[in-house]
Amino acid sequence: MKILLMGHPNVGKSVLFNRLTGANVIESNYPGTTIDYTKGYMRVGGEEVEVIDVPGTFSLDPKDKAEEVAVKMLHESRDATVICVIDASKIERGLYLVLEIVEEGYSVAIALNMWDVAEDKNIKIDVVNLERILGVPVVSTTAISGEGIKELVSRSRGTAPVEVDDIFERVED
Amino acid sequence: MTKLDVDERWDLIDKISKKTVTFGEYKHTLKDAIGELTVKPLTGIPIAIAVLYGFWSFFSSFAGFFTDGFFVKLFDEHWLLWLQEIFPGKESWLYYIFVGDPSATNCFEAFGVLTSGFFVAIGVVLPAIVAFYLILTLLEDSGYLPRLAVLIDTILHRIGLHGYAIVPTILSLGCNVPAVAATRVLETRKERFIMMTILAIFIPCGAQLGIMKEVIPDTMGFVIFYLFMGYLIFGFILNKIIPGKTPEMLIDVPPYQMPTAQNVGRKLWMRTSSFFKVALPFVLLGCVIVNVLYLTGFIAWMGDILSPLFIGWFGVPSETAGPLIAAFLRKDLAVAQLSAIEMTRYQMISAVVLVSIYFPCVATFAMMLREGWKELLGSIAVLAMVVTLYGGLLHLIWILLGVA
Repeated sequence: MKILLMGHPNVGKSVLFNRLTGANVIESNYPGTTIDYTKGYMRVGGEEVEVIDVPGTFSLDPKDKAEEVAVKMLHESRDATVICVIDASKIERGLYLVLEIVEEGYSVAIALNMWDVAEDKNIKIDVVNLERILGVPVVSTTAISGEGIKELVSRSRGTAPVEVDDIFERVED
Repeated sequence: MTKLDVDERWDLIDKISKKTVTFGEYKHTLKDAIGELTVKPLTGIPIAIAVLYGFWSFFSSFAGFFTDGFFVKLFDEHWLLWLQEIFPGKESWLYYIFVGDPSATNCFEAFGVLTSGFFVAIGVVLPAIVAFYLILTLLEDSGYLPRLAVLIDTILHRIGLHGYAIVPTILSLGCNVPAVAATRVLETRKERFIMMTILAIFIPCGAQLGIMKEVIPDTMGFVIFYLFMGYLIFGFILNKIIPGKTPEMLIDVPPYQMPTAQNVGRKLWMRTSSFFKVALPFVLLGCVIVNVLYLTGFIAWMGDILSPLFIGWFGVPSETAGPLIAAFLRKDLAVAQLSAIEMTRYQMISAVVLVSIYFPCVATFAMMLREGWKELLGSIAVLAMVVTLYGGLLHLIWILLGVA
């Protein structure tokens, strides 16, 4: 199994990556720290899982070389599960990238990261309902302190591709 | 598979967020207040100057404390004496390569692999690198760098870049190698080329800064000034002659965060150790090569050939040919070597500026090649021009000042 960590710049993908794999990639508080991908491994229930830390990208339409690396990585990993890391305090634009990836037929799980920041800003997200509408696992995480990481790992194992048309239907319910 | 267009996607997101997200009342926090103070020009610019000055003060006092207070004594009074005593055959070439000048009383002048090589790498560069990366990491993790980018955006547009170019520039002060990689966050080829070229030419790395502070503390300010001016002047020229666009900067300024001791410690360790994996072999190898070249008379020969250029055009002694060869491998080593050559204060400024701008070190060269050979060739062409022009210009300034 292979997991790609994708999301906007500076949402905590590298922090999550280090947490998951015990690797040491540089993590900083500014966009564009990761400019190339890094591979790492974690063991989940006896199985070795390859995890890839991908440079941040706003969309699948690359604007610079680091974003090109990200999109290329995604397209070269057709069978991968994508963990979309979203800044929970800026959820809408994070969902844009999620939808793009979902539309391409990938199995997706969502980490609503920086949950603490969202709480500080008094933003409340109905995770259960979001998960129902999207049809993919959604887990709130705070990667810096490690909250939610275990749940994210176990939930992202069973995820499957979803149809956007179904999302349209469920959002109207 | 249904594919949506941009508007449909945003409509869907709108519907989803209406059902799942509620935005409560937002309170202005202390973090926001600090955030505003550091971005608004009126307060932000003085704060930026204070931060950078603090960066510099810490760097020089921390590195000075360890180098002068500890390593100089250790290397000059124990290591050098011990090596001179136990290493056999004072007249042999092996002694010359490994221990260096038998009459040397300090590790800068000896110039052997085991004496100067280790002293430069461990005694001078290690404290400088640790000091630099400690502060850099704090700036990175707190979230200050993107704010600095916002402040400096207007100035950098003059040289064909935008504010975010401050990130590769500052990284480059530690080591040019990761800085070249970091140019990937710039959007256009033009920006990347300008950035890569002027940082490889004009930004001294942490190792160079450390050694300059040690061997030419009085003239270092001038060297930095001339390098900084070169960065702006040649950036400005490149911006005019290179086709292409520089887009406006669009970045997310992240919230301030308290850096965690764990992450700071880990990054410091990673960067210092990877720096040494690259640097130490090159420093030692550089010592060997330069000593062999001296022994075979190659450097004296090169000095003779280049002397019209060196003496006539640049106004520096022809012995500087040796350090220039060493500069291919390591610039810190080259500066250390320069310090042993007899010359005036102004010749020293010229020589150190030349060593700094002349050719990137091997590791940077390799990294630039990885980013694209066309860019690399272009950078080398610019470099040759810059060295000739700027070296001559400095000489002219000295002549006009009546000091050459």
